[in-house]
Amino acid sequence: MTSEPTDTARPATGLRMHILVGLLALGLLALASAVGVAIWAQQRAAQNGARVEHTLAVQELIQRVATYSERVETARRGYLLSAEPRFLAVFDRSATVLPAALARLETLTRDNPAQRRRVAALRQLDDVRTADLVRTVALVRSGQRAVAMTGFASDPATDATFRTRAIAAEMLAEERRLLAARNAEQQRSLWVLNAVFALVAVLLLAVVAGVAMILLRYTRALSATGRQLARLNSDLEGVVSERTAELQRANAEIQRFAYIVSHDLRSPLVNVMGFTAELDAARKTIADHLAKEFERDPDSRSPEVMLAVEEDLPEAIGFIRTSTQKMDRLINAILRLSREGRRRLTPEPLAMRALVGDIAATLHQRAADAGATIEVGDMPDIVSDRVAIEQILSNLVENAIKYGKPGRPTIVRVEGRRIGTRIAYDVIDNGRGIEPRDHERIFELFRRSGAQDRPGEGIGLAHVRALAYRLGGLIEVTSTLDEGSTFRLSLPHTLTQTE
Amino acid sequence: MTNQQPVNIVMVEDDEGHARLIEKNIRRAGISNTIRHFTDGTTALDYLFHAPEGPAINGPALVLLDLNLPDMSGIDILGRIKGHERLKRTPVVVLTTTDDKVEIQRCYDLGCNVYITKPVNYESFADAIRQLGLFLSVMQVPEAGDGD
Repeated sequence: MTSEPTDTARPATGLRMHILVGLLALGLLALASAVGVAIWAQQRAAQNGARVEHTLAVQELIQRVATYSERVETARRGYLLSAEPRFLAVFDRSATVLPAALARLETLTRDNPAQRRRVAALRQLDDVRTADLVRTVALVRSGQRAVAMTGFASDPATDATFRTRAIAAEMLAEERRLLAARNAEQQRSLWVLNAVFALVAVLLLAVVAGVAMILLRYTRALSATGRQLARLNSDLEGVVSERTAELQRANAEIQRFAYIVSHDLRSPLVNVMGFTAELDAARKTIADHLAKEFERDPDSRSPEVMLAVEEDLPEAIGFIRTSTQKMDRLINAILRLSREGRRRLTPEPLAMRALVGDIAATLHQRAADAGATIEVGDMPDIVSDRVAIEQILSNLVENAIKYGKPGRPTIVRVEGRRIGTRIAYDVIDNGRGIEPRDHERIFELFRRSGAQDRPGEGIGLAHVRALAYRLGGLIEVTSTLDEGSTFRLSLPHTLTQTE
Repeated sequence: MTNQQPVNIVMVEDDEGHARLIEKNIRRAGISNTIRHFTDGTTALDYLFHAPEGPAINGPALVLLDLNLPDMSGIDILGRIKGHERLKRTPVVVLTTTDDKVEIQRCYDLGCNVYITKPVNYESFADAIRQLGLFLSVMQVPEAGDGD
């Protein structure tokens, strides 16, 4: 009955534990993937940012190229019209800025062949214009301004500027397209990131909910088991005290019965013994008379009569005597038991270590004779009847000394421990042990176990059990033949008088 | 020894065997007084209190009393004797198998003069009865109604 709940609870708990571990692993996995995705997204974002920056730089360079191209064209026109040397400074400046900008553009657009082609075209156009510009300046300086002016409408520099403008516009458009594409991509990866985070969040939430549910259920089951256990425990105490109360009642009844029976058995026994003695006395008278008679008349001597008077009658009387004496001993034993049962118990606090020490000291000589040693372990104190406890324990220790295993030094150990509201005292020996079929029998009156090679009437353990019951206790034995026995006396911590 | 009337021994004992053994051993001790034997309490009380030759009306007596009787406890008989005006000085010897301390005390409290436990061992039994016989032979028993 007590083992049933644990048997069914164990597999369920195991399954629950498996699920719990699985859920926790899942949660950990989700967390790890979330961290992974975050790192990936971070890298992605940084990459994207760099590319956007790159595009912006390219755009700026294109703008610069376009602006300078326009400025150079404007300055050329101005120079042609006014021949003022201040326009020459613009040329010089653009001669350094434009090639540098183009070179930079070339490196930046290395990854884009279309843009590279366009940069190459721009460079070519710049070269054409620069050559034309050098020619124009030379013409103006040499005073042929008119020649330069006439060629203006059809000169290659103007055409180069137009074409530069167109290519720059194309390039800008291309870069804008790239920027838009990169923005869209970033948007998409952001969305993926959000989706992944949402998924992980849902997963984590589910894991947490699952774990919480299992823990809650587990805790509930645990506390239910705890309550059940507590109830069983208190039930057990109730059962024990009920049982000991029953035993006390039964014990008291048996002792009253034993007292009456043993007294009533004594009466006929007095007669049997008395009249046997009278019979013997009468036989002696007859024997004396016959002896005289035969002496006076030897012929009347009959061997049968002599045999009857001198042998048969004494033999019969002898058997009657020994039997009645044995019966008398048994009746006295019962009387002693029942008288012990009528003794008034006086509970008092007992120092158990000292009490057992006294018992060991009393039995010291007998233990030494039998080659036995007595050990005293932990002994919790108790409130009970001193005489009864002394009798029980000394009886048990005495038995342990008495029934040792030949060829092995006997070690008797006495120890105790608290179990709930009760105290259990164990008397443990390594003696000859008791066969399992005798475990109950040894507590019965006049019953003994094993080889009947030691003196005794079979009263000790019956007495011990009767005393244990009176003290509201129980006595049990566990034993293996040839290995030893343990007698456990379990008593209430405090003896309460019921009589 | 001015008293000339012989002392009757009244034995209340339900066990015929015990009664016979007691009588034999009393005789062996040299006591020849009349022994009147009753096996139950009712007839014994009737003799003690109402018989014309009984101790209540006539003559001194000594009571040998067993406690385990079929119709009543010997203690009741003891109480009745010791509570009676004329019988209370009659010596009562309780002779029984009961050796319970409480019973013995009660008997002495009620006025029992001697309490003897019947030993199962016959030698001790015979010895006890013979000593009782010796005791009886030197014992002074008051006349019924003495001092009234």
